[in-house]
Amino acid sequence: MDWPPTRRTSYARREQNLALIGAVVTGAVLATGLLLLILSRVTPIYSLRLRTAAIDVVAPFWTTIRGPFDVLGSGVDGVGDYIGTVPRARQLAIENAALRRALQDHDALAAENRSLHRLVRVVEPHLGLVAVARFAGASSGSYARTAMVSAGNRDGVFAGQTVRADVGLVGRTVEAGSHAARILLLTDPNSRVPVLVVRTGQPALAVGAAGRLLEVRDRLGAEVPLLVGDRLVTSGAGGLFAPQIPVATVVDAREPPRARPEADPVAIDFVAIYRAYLPVPEVPAAVATVPVPREARKK
Amino acid sequence: MTAPYRLLAPQERVRYWRGYAERAVPAVVTLVLVAAMTVPVFVTVPVIPHLGLLGVLIWANFQPGLMPPWLAFVIGVVADVLFGLPLGVNATLLPVMVIGVRLIGARLVASRFGDHSYISDWLFATLVIGVFTLAEWALLSIAGTSGPFAPLAVQAGTTILAYPAVVGLIARVQRRLQALG
Repeated sequence: MDWPPTRRTSYARREQNLALIGAVVTGAVLATGLLLLILSRVTPIYSLRLRTAAIDVVAPFWTTIRGPFDVLGSGVDGVGDYIGTVPRARQLAIENAALRRALQDHDALAAENRSLHRLVRVVEPHLGLVAVARFAGASSGSYARTAMVSAGNRDGVFAGQTVRADVGLVGRTVEAGSHAARILLLTDPNSRVPVLVVRTGQPALAVGAAGRLLEVRDRLGAEVPLLVGDRLVTSGAGGLFAPQIPVATVVDAREPPRARPEADPVAIDFVAIYRAYLPVPEVPAAVATVPVPREARKK
Repeated sequence: MTAPYRLLAPQERVRYWRGYAERAVPAVVTLVLVAAMTVPVFVTVPVIPHLGLLGVLIWANFQPGLMPPWLAFVIGVVADVLFGLPLGVNATLLPVMVIGVRLIGARLVASRFGDHSYISDWLFATLVIGVFTLAEWALLSIAGTSGPFAPLAVQAGTTILAYPAVVGLIARVQRRLQALG
């Protein structure tokens, strides 16, 4: 037995202390992760600033990188355009003539529509175009189907606005940083769009299913079956999406019906962001209930 | 313990700061991999491999001192925020994976295949990616975003296939660091 009892060398004690601190830090890290997870179930909004900051950081990177690829792509397209030009031009001339005739009918119908609206005094909210932007990022990693665009608060883009391409609805904005925003695509499981079946006029809900197709749920009058090829357009219910925007086409009519979105983000270059169709009305502040003497009232 | 900073010669000071920069390389490389996962390529099935997971796994396997659990937590938070997942899914699973690799990885692999060999590392990564995907599915349903397992399974498959590319990149970074330092 040693006497006096030998002390452990300071290096060994230092290593032990460091190992203990490392274990405590690791435990704290794990506890913080689990706490964040439980909090994100309860209040999913609290990390908004962090998310918008992250979008602002990542989006300009892809916007800059896209430049050379877009030049290359347009160059290849330019060369391809020269091949087979003459037959294409002839066919385009025929289509152009048919479309001009249809356009005259369309102008007549639009004029009649406007006069009927005035007659019945229909109030149509103004569709406000906010910004046009390109995709600058995507998260197709797992469930979340979101995309990022390079337009943010300083271009007037905020959360809760409609995003559409020329062929149809793309989604809605959920977060907006100062120069980039995140769009919830139609195929995201959290995306629910109120739609109308054009043929039958039934309202339904087009819900994303983390896959290629949307599910058509909660259809009013579900006993009337859908046919393959039925088109779904937005109904305007809910006040976010303006009505008559093409959404999807039914490809599988068995219950639950599945529809393919019209707008495929792969094939889209630019998207247009519109203000919400019916923005939340401004409720005036509560008027004071104490009667104001006549002398104090403003004339 | 080296001399205090004020007593160091200029080239020793450069070496001092270079030491910190070299220690930060795994963090920076993994963050770049996570940012690269947001490439605007739209695919209906999630075929983008989880490059952040691969980065953390490979660094934790080969350089455990340079990928501590708190760094994996930070990378997990960045990944959650960039992908629109509920905050905490990757942030919990990546540190757990680092701790698991440290505790049982060396023992599991070395006992069967000797030291690191390419195939043994790839098989080990396959096992870890599979367990990670199952745990991610469980945590996503805890966080409220439940859904089918199929998209995550496809992502796991792509991640396993992307392992050689990422390991080649990280090996090149590692060799460059050793050549410089």
